[in-house]
Amino acid sequence: MILRRTAVLAVGLVALVCGFAASLALGAVQVPLHDVIDALLGKAEPGPFKQIVLTLRLPRTVEAMVVGAGLGVAGALLQGALGNPLASPDVIGVTAGAGFGAVLILLVFPGSIALLPVGALVFGLAAAALVFAIAWTGQNAGSVGKLILAGIAMAALFTAGTTSLMTAYPDRVQSVIFFIAGGLTSEGWRELEVVWPYLAVGFVIALGLIRPLDRLALGDDVAASLGARPRLVRLGAGIAAALLAAGAAALAGLLGFLGLIVPHVVRLAGGTASHTFVVPASAVGGAALLVAGDTLARTVRAPIELPVGPLMVVIGVPLFLWLLRKAV
Amino acid sequence: MRRLAVVALTAAAFAVIAAPAGAAAPKRVVALTPFTANTLAALGVRPVAIGQTLGGRERFNKRLKGVRTLPMSHPNGPNLEQLASLNPRMVFNSPTFRKGSVGIRSLEIKVVESDPHNIAESVAQTRRIGRIVGKRKQADKLALKLLKGVANARRNIRDRPTVLLILGVGRTPFVFLRNSWGGDVLRNAGGSLLTAGRRDRGGFARISDEVVVAEDPDVIIAVPHAAARDIPSITRYLRSNPAWSTTSAVRNKRVYVSTDNSLLQAGTDAGKVIRTVRRKYLKNAK
Repeated sequence: MILRRTAVLAVGLVALVCGFAASLALGAVQVPLHDVIDALLGKAEPGPFKQIVLTLRLPRTVEAMVVGAGLGVAGALLQGALGNPLASPDVIGVTAGAGFGAVLILLVFPGSIALLPVGALVFGLAAAALVFAIAWTGQNAGSVGKLILAGIAMAALFTAGTTSLMTAYPDRVQSVIFFIAGGLTSEGWRELEVVWPYLAVGFVIALGLIRPLDRLALGDDVAASLGARPRLVRLGAGIAAALLAAGAAALAGLLGFLGLIVPHVVRLAGGTASHTFVVPASAVGGAALLVAGDTLARTVRAPIELPVGPLMVVIGVPLFLWLLRKAV
Repeated sequence: MRRLAVVALTAAAFAVIAAPAGAAAPKRVVALTPFTANTLAALGVRPVAIGQTLGGRERFNKRLKGVRTLPMSHPNGPNLEQLASLNPRMVFNSPTFRKGSVGIRSLEIKVVESDPHNIAESVAQTRRIGRIVGKRKQADKLALKLLKGVANARRNIRDRPTVLLILGVGRTPFVFLRNSWGGDVLRNAGGSLLTAGRRDRGGFARISDEVVVAEDPDVIIAVPHAAARDIPSITRYLRSNPAWSTTSAVRNKRVYVSTDNSLLQAGTDAGKVIRTVRRKYLKNAK
C-alpha cells in the first residue's frame, strides 16, 4: 500500500515538474529553449524573450500551481470534514460569492478593475462566513446537514445576484465570460501579491488538520474519544477551504470542478482515503492538472487563448471515469 | 415598332416585379440596431421604435428624435408584449438577438436580420434595406454617399501604426479581429491590426499577451463598455499591465479609451468614424 501511494505521489510530482517545464517553454511565441534557461538563470539580455518568460510565463505557471494545489486541498478538506463525496468549494458558497464579487467589479465598476481579485476574495470569504454563521448557530449547530444546506442556499443567493447583474448590464457581459469559464492571466505577480497571504494561511491550517481529519473519518463519537473536537475540526477545515478557494477564484476565476474531482482521483489512484496521503497528493495532483491544462489552453489554438475551465473538464472527466471504472 | 414593344413589355415586366416591393413596403417598422435605425431614417422611413443601445444616442440620426426606445436584453432582444403593443409589420433585428426572432415571428411580424460587420457589408445592407422598404433609389444614393465618405476619410494615409484594439476590460480583454466592425474601421483608417489577418467566430478573441509583447503595438485602444469618467482609471490600469508596459504604445503614451460605440456597432457614419480614429488615435491625419 505504501509503495502504491509513493508511486502515485511520484507520478504526480513528475507530471508537475514536466508541466512546469512545458509551461515555461511553450506559448504563443516560440522562445528558444536556451533563451528560456538563460532568462531563468538571470543571464538573458533584456528583450521580448526575457520579458515573456519572466513577466508572463513564470508568474502564470506559479499561479497555476498555487491555484491547482489550493483547489485540490480545499476539496480534500471539505470532503473529509463533511464526510460527503460531493463536497467542494461550491458547497460552502465560496465559488458563488467570489463570482459575484468579481462580476460586481467587472460590470458595475469597470473603472476599478484593479480591484477584481480583492472583490472576488472579499465576497468569497463573506459568503463562507455567512454559511458558517448560519450553520453554527441555533439548533443542530455545526451539523453537516445544516452546513451543506446553508451553503446551497448562500450559493443560490449569490448566483442570483450574479445573473441579475449580468441581466442589468447585458452590454458588458463579454468582460465576464472568461472569469466565469475560469482561466489564468498573464498579469505578472501583482495578483499573487494580493492573494498569497490568504492562500498561505489556508495551506498552513490544512496541514494542521491532516491528523484530526483522519480521526473524524472514524465517526464523530470515536474521533471525540480520541481527543478530536469534530465541530471545531469542521470549522477549521471550512475556514481553510474558504481561504484557499476564494484565493484561487481571485486568481483564476471559477474552477470549482478541480476541487471536486482531484481528491477523488487521488483516492482512487492511491487506494486510500487517509488524509496524510490525500491532502498532499491533492495539492500535487491539482497543481499538475492545472499547469498542464493552462499550457494546453495557451497553445492549442495559439495565439488565441481558450478558457482553462472547460479544458479541465475535458481532461479531468475521462481520467476520473477511467479510474472510477477500474475501482468498481 | 417591334423594338418599342419589347422595351415597353420589359418596362412593364420590371414594373410588375418592382411593384410588390413598393406596395408591400411596411408602414410600421421597428429597428433594433443603430445601423438599421439610422439607415431607415436616412431613407425617410421613421420607425415606430428603435432598440436601446449602449454608448448613448449621439450617433443616431436627428430624424429619430422622439422615437420610442425599446429596452433590449440578451439573448431575446425586446420584450414581446411591448413590441406587440406597437403593432409593427416588420422588425429589423440583429443576429445577436436571433433567439428572439422566433418569438417576434410568432406575432406574425416579418423579421429582417441586419447588422453589418464591415463597411462593404454596410453598403450592401443599405441597398437591401432600401429594397425592402421600397426606397431603392434613395438607398443606392445613400450607399454611394457612404462609399464616398469612406474614400474621402481614407485619403493621404502615410503612417500605418500597429494597433491593439481591445473590447472590455478585466483580466481577459477580447481583441477585435479583422472580421469585426471595429477591426474593419481601423484597417480603413490606416491601422495595422496586431491580430493581422486572424479571424474567429464573432470577430473577437482572447489572444495571448506574448503576442502583444512580441509584436509591440504602437497604439492600444480599449473599448471598455464604461463611462467617460472611467477613462483615466482604465488608462492607468491598461498601462500598468506588465505584459504591455514595455510596448511602444505605453512608452509613448498612446493608450486610448473609447467610450462611445463607434468601434463596436456598425453605423451609417463610417467615414466620420474613420476620420475620428485617424485624428484621435492613429494620428495619421492632417
